[in-house]
Amino acid sequence: MESENILELQNISKTFGDLVAVDNVNFELQEGEIHAILGENGAGKSTLMNLIYGLYQPTDGSIHISGIKKQFKSPRDAIANGVGMVHQHFMLVENLTVAENIALTVAKFSSRIEKTYPHDHEIISQNGNSNKLKLSKFRYKSDEAIQITESLSKQFGLTVDPSASIRSLSVGLKQRVEILKALAVDARILILDEPTAVLSPQEVTGFFNILRKLKDDNRSILFISHKMKEVLEISDRITVLRHGKKVYNGITGELSTRELAREMIGEDITEIERKQNKPTNDLVLNISNLTVRGNRDEIAVKGLKLKAFRGEIVGIAGVDGNGQRELAEAIMGLRTIKSGTVEILGRKPIGTKNIRQCSVGYIPEDRRTMGVITSFSITENLILNVPHLENISKWSMIDQASMSQTAMKLIENYDIRPPKPTIPASALSGGNQQKIVLAREISPQPDLLIAVNPTRGLDINAAQYVHKNLFKQRENSKSVLLISTELDEVLKMSDRLYVMSKGKLFEATAHRDDIEALGLLMTGETDTNV
Amino acid sequence: MYNIPASFRKAKNFYLSLLEKSPRFLHWIISPSLILFGAFIVNGIIILLCGYNPFKAYVAAFLGSFGSPRAIGETLVKSTPYLMTGLSVAIAFRCGIWNIGAEGQFLLGALAATFFGTKVATLLPHTSWIAVPICLLLAIFAGGLWGVIPAILKVTRGVNEVISTIMLNYIAIHFVSLMIDGGPLQEASKTGPQSDPIVQWVTLPRLFDSHRVHPGIAIAVVLAIILAFVLFRTTLGYQIRAVGEGADAAKAAGFSVAYNTIRVFILSGALAALGGAIELMALTPRLTESFSPGYGYTAIAVALLAKLHPLLTIATALLFGALSKGAFAMEAEVGISKQVTWMMQAIILLFVIGFGSLSLFQKHNQTN
Repeated sequence: MESENILELQNISKTFGDLVAVDNVNFELQEGEIHAILGENGAGKSTLMNLIYGLYQPTDGSIHISGIKKQFKSPRDAIANGVGMVHQHFMLVENLTVAENIALTVAKFSSRIEKTYPHDHEIISQNGNSNKLKLSKFRYKSDEAIQITESLSKQFGLTVDPSASIRSLSVGLKQRVEILKALAVDARILILDEPTAVLSPQEVTGFFNILRKLKDDNRSILFISHKMKEVLEISDRITVLRHGKKVYNGITGELSTRELAREMIGEDITEIERKQNKPTNDLVLNISNLTVRGNRDEIAVKGLKLKAFRGEIVGIAGVDGNGQRELAEAIMGLRTIKSGTVEILGRKPIGTKNIRQCSVGYIPEDRRTMGVITSFSITENLILNVPHLENISKWSMIDQASMSQTAMKLIENYDIRPPKPTIPASALSGGNQQKIVLAREISPQPDLLIAVNPTRGLDINAAQYVHKNLFKQRENSKSVLLISTELDEVLKMSDRLYVMSKGKLFEATAHRDDIEALGLLMTGETDTNV
Repeated sequence: MYNIPASFRKAKNFYLSLLEKSPRFLHWIISPSLILFGAFIVNGIIILLCGYNPFKAYVAAFLGSFGSPRAIGETLVKSTPYLMTGLSVAIAFRCGIWNIGAEGQFLLGALAATFFGTKVATLLPHTSWIAVPICLLLAIFAGGLWGVIPAILKVTRGVNEVISTIMLNYIAIHFVSLMIDGGPLQEASKTGPQSDPIVQWVTLPRLFDSHRVHPGIAIAVVLAIILAFVLFRTTLGYQIRAVGEGADAAKAAGFSVAYNTIRVFILSGALAALGGAIELMALTPRLTESFSPGYGYTAIAVALLAKLHPLLTIATALLFGALSKGAFAMEAEVGISKQVTWMMQAIILLFVIGFGSLSLFQKHNQTN
């Protein structure tokens, strides 16, 4: 605990209009520590990180780097002071190669590199490795970029093919490139925003090894997460934010998972019990031999079979990008089916409109583009599908009174905040936008509900609420298809469990308690149908 | 976000906070007014550089367009084609369709009216009650047909409508030339590139003897009101806006993007064509090559300045009508060339594009 504070925030506050996002927070980050920031959605984690990264300027208070007061007008200033950030949504140029992406950063911040590595631009790390970081001026030479990338990845043990194009990389590798980018400009403070959300269990282990290596190199890491288990495993210290205020700061291990959760939400959480379901033979969804192409014309779903009955939740686990999205879109009629059939309640409806009218609800993966229309008001978003629209209109005219009545009821029931029906969805936080989607899709109690990552970005209470509603669907003998990358969620919710990998489904109900086996299925290590 | 000068950012934040405090209905007025104010200042500087007094010029323009009942009537007459084409553009843009083809659709409507008024109407009973509606319907049909071409190209082949509608404008412009210059619609005497005047019972009557105010103005205003109702109070309008604002979300909701694209394109084409027919039937009984001074292009500025709202389009069309009426007054009384007005229109458009993003709630986008 004797090490120096590399970053200090003093009485920092940030307000947006009436909203106090960060409220008088004091915070220290020591050299060579992994510091986790825990908090619910809207607790101010992201705002705080954006303040450190220069995306926002604090309303009050000051930022000190190695004891010197600094003012970051933009991320450019933050980077120049050794702050690097890996965003949840990667900031990579998809068309370029790994080396080209690294070169872009190096070229942009060459002055910082020259300052920190004055001797012929060499990085000499603690373990004595050294490498050159220099690009020719005015002319791009690909071999130089490749050399830089190779030496960086060798130094930090972040193996990645420098000449691979970003597009071809898995999410885990893309994340590696993002970290390399930050290291290329010698970031001493690395901010990682929900870095494990997109990784499989095996990838997480590898990722944690990388973090430990960076820590050994005396770099400081700010780790934002809402996954308690991971935080306890990797961090040295934990800070908990609630409603913009710092409510806890201490050494990892001091508090148990349960106590930390209480700090986060201010009250005890009650786990919902999963009652045993009564299996029925009433078929709701019957998919046979479904083959679907993805956006790049590759076969994304390969000859898939799946049945869902009334009164059950069928869970599909898997790492992002293994055909889950394409599967859901094919069921909803949003993607052309190459071969095979999708039968809903014994019918084969064609087109999204007809499918919707068969009592099918859909919580899409990407709420910002598919779930809500951000420029529409909350009210308008709450009626955004064919059955809802038909319910509140007569002779093609929208009944204003019944529209606002429906909206007010849903806003109240689903606790959408702020509860102002006329403000656009863009003014809402991600969690509240998700609540709009849920309210709209679950409230009509559809016979079949396709839910893709329904709780992504939601806080614990909101997630509980979603789960309660999914269970209610099951109790009302409806059918739910839950496709999620959160393994815990699928395990907790589903009656029957599948793992989706490389476009295929693997029966996994028998492996419920064997995380290792599930992980292997998720990474596609086993090709046999278990 | 980056590299914006602090003073500009402060001004923007001040403006946004001002907007936040003001009542909701004012939001629709404030930013168009500011845009106009800026455009008037820039244009005033140009007038000054040309050696004239901008204040005198603006006063002359104002009096010329609103100074007397006669001037107001003429302003209304000049506003009508702007309103019709402006509505055409507004409804298309609302659906995310970048229809630049109002010019061609406007001309096609006029051409259809000319064809009917010179060739067909003589075969029908000589009464306005039959001929005028048929003529308007024919123009609507022609415009709809001209709108369906880029719609189908876009839906089935993915052809960008900006390109296809511009090309269709060229085709329409030259097709009109072909028809009235040596073609079957040229005047019987074959002296110039123009058509015969349409027969009297196809023309729209003047409402007053002293000036050219005609019922087409009322048609346009009623259409604007209907469109506003459709857009904000019906399921059709809701779907149109949903497709325009978030095509993927609209698809997931079960709305067909292709179907909406086609029907809105038809509607948009029909509106512009109806404008062309009204213009011909009420004002110029002959179709000439200079029939449209680019109404279909100016319409984009008219619609954007109105934030694509049909009711505000009435106001912006009136403004553009007043500008072109005022241009004559400026020329007559101060001596400034009419070109200044065309420049003014372009400057307004630039201001619309440059500052159109300054609306409320933008600031809150990234609170979380």
